[in-house]
Amino acid sequence: MLKKNFRQDNAVAYLLLAPIVILLTIFVIIPFVYALRVSFYNWSFYQESTFVGFQNFYMVLTDDLFLESIWVGLKFAFMVVPTMLIISFLFANIIKNMGSGFASFVKTSIYIPTIISGIVASVIFVFIFDYAGGLANYIVGLFGYEPKAWLAEVASALPSIAAPAVWLGFGLTTLIMLAGLHDIPKSYYEAAELEGAGTFVKMGYITIPLMRNVVLYLLVTGFTAQISQFELSLVMTGGGPLSSTTTPNLYILNHFRNDVMVGNSIAASLLLFVVLGSISAIIFRVLNSEKAIDG
Amino acid sequence: MNTMNWVQKTVLTLITGLITVMALFPLLWVIIAGFKEKAEVLATPFRFFPKKWMVQNYTDILGDPAFLKSMAVTFGGAVLFAVLSLIVNSLAAYVFARLEFRLKAFLWVYVIITMFIPGMAILLTSFIVVNKMGMLDTLAVLVLPGVASAGHMFFVRQFYLNIPLALEEAALIDGAGRIRIFTHIFIPMSFPVFVIVGIGSYLAYWNSFVWPTMTVTNPDLFQIMQYLYTFRSERSTEMGMLMAGSALSCLPTIILFLFFQKHIISGIKISGLK
Repeated sequence: MLKKNFRQDNAVAYLLLAPIVILLTIFVIIPFVYALRVSFYNWSFYQESTFVGFQNFYMVLTDDLFLESIWVGLKFAFMVVPTMLIISFLFANIIKNMGSGFASFVKTSIYIPTIISGIVASVIFVFIFDYAGGLANYIVGLFGYEPKAWLAEVASALPSIAAPAVWLGFGLTTLIMLAGLHDIPKSYYEAAELEGAGTFVKMGYITIPLMRNVVLYLLVTGFTAQISQFELSLVMTGGGPLSSTTTPNLYILNHFRNDVMVGNSIAASLLLFVVLGSISAIIFRVLNSEKAIDG
Repeated sequence: MNTMNWVQKTVLTLITGLITVMALFPLLWVIIAGFKEKAEVLATPFRFFPKKWMVQNYTDILGDPAFLKSMAVTFGGAVLFAVLSLIVNSLAAYVFARLEFRLKAFLWVYVIITMFIPGMAILLTSFIVVNKMGMLDTLAVLVLPGVASAGHMFFVRQFYLNIPLALEEAALIDGAGRIRIFTHIFIPMSFPVFVIVGIGSYLAYWNSFVWPTMTVTNPDLFQIMQYLYTFRSERSTEMGMLMAGSALSCLPTIILFLFFQKHIISGIKISGLK
């Protein structure tokens, strides 16, 4: 009886899994294996490719522009992720103590930027940072400062691109934090209040330690997402001025257009994959294990 | 103590109001700027509201047949994409959650591993693959490559693992097949998770930009983000129209979100995050 069931399940299982397996094979696995191969070849659209060993990887790792793009990506992530997490953390704590009617309005409002596309966000923020009629210069003008060409100066271009990234991302992180806050048992706070603990003591001894896993999760996923960001710089600055906003993925994308560099840029994207892919794999393992719910 | 609470509450409400306004401001601004006169859009000094409310930018962009067409084509593609993605991924989720079969461990790893391959690493080689398959400039090239998603499959599977076994045992004893159990027991219970995965797929399709620009050159298939990007580089003087177009391009998404907002926001709790 059992054996018969087992066999039946085999057939049904393969039938139902066929679509996902076939699609993933064609559109993910084959391109990935192909990319692995190309990274060891001097590849071109127009001529025979030749095997070059690790030369592509060597060239990428010694290319100053690639190293600079990594640096840009790191700076960008360090601007966006902490800002976003701090805003989200404070905001989630505020929403948690709000009346439910007002809270649901606020939750809806802050979620809306999350569903806006990178292209539209770029268009909006290019206008906000416009030299003549933009909002940013109007605000600094109110404080008596001279107008600035935000996106054209090396010092301000990257922070100006970080602003829409925070705007696009903080709604979701706030709501995830809020879900985390709601999971902390009320009795912990009540017990602390009986002992006379104030707002900051409760925050420091209950909220922050118990939110550790959620914050860690958001930190790592936020970091990998932001270091992969390229749409904003592509549309807002095209990577300039002086490649000060060329993130690693924009570097890779730009090199795809240059036939000679295809092998190089694929090597670069694979290097990035090794780093980012392993980070997300670790996070996935931790979240999937029971360790994630200690405390 | 009471006055302290009152002061605290007022301050908190003010901060909340401020952040809510900041969250919505950029979007409101682009919508309102669309109502400005052409010369006023980026005039100094900055003004939030138009001197005179005009609908010309909106009627102009709506009068551009290419705009409406790309909205319609993208919407159709996004709906098709979301439906296909729900079917393909939930079938797999069901199989991995409930069925036992010989290659289970291998296929699980095979599917899950694709979650960790970043799009950029396979962007160019995917292009070569679809090019060899003769898929360029078709609806299929826009829809098919992203339909299967290990992330979505995993998310739905987590949901299915929480459905009590007792529900289907009775049906199994009555001789119902696995497929019948899926369509009659699992699908009707899947609404909350389908909303989240479906909207997620819809959004990913609607907002996608790099893939369409690489694979579609036929203006009849132009996707909305592709349209806006091209508009911005080719007609850079028409800023009012660009604002109006950007605002309108968010409309279907926002309506859809507002319609399902309760499910989406409460769904963040079940997103597998413990």
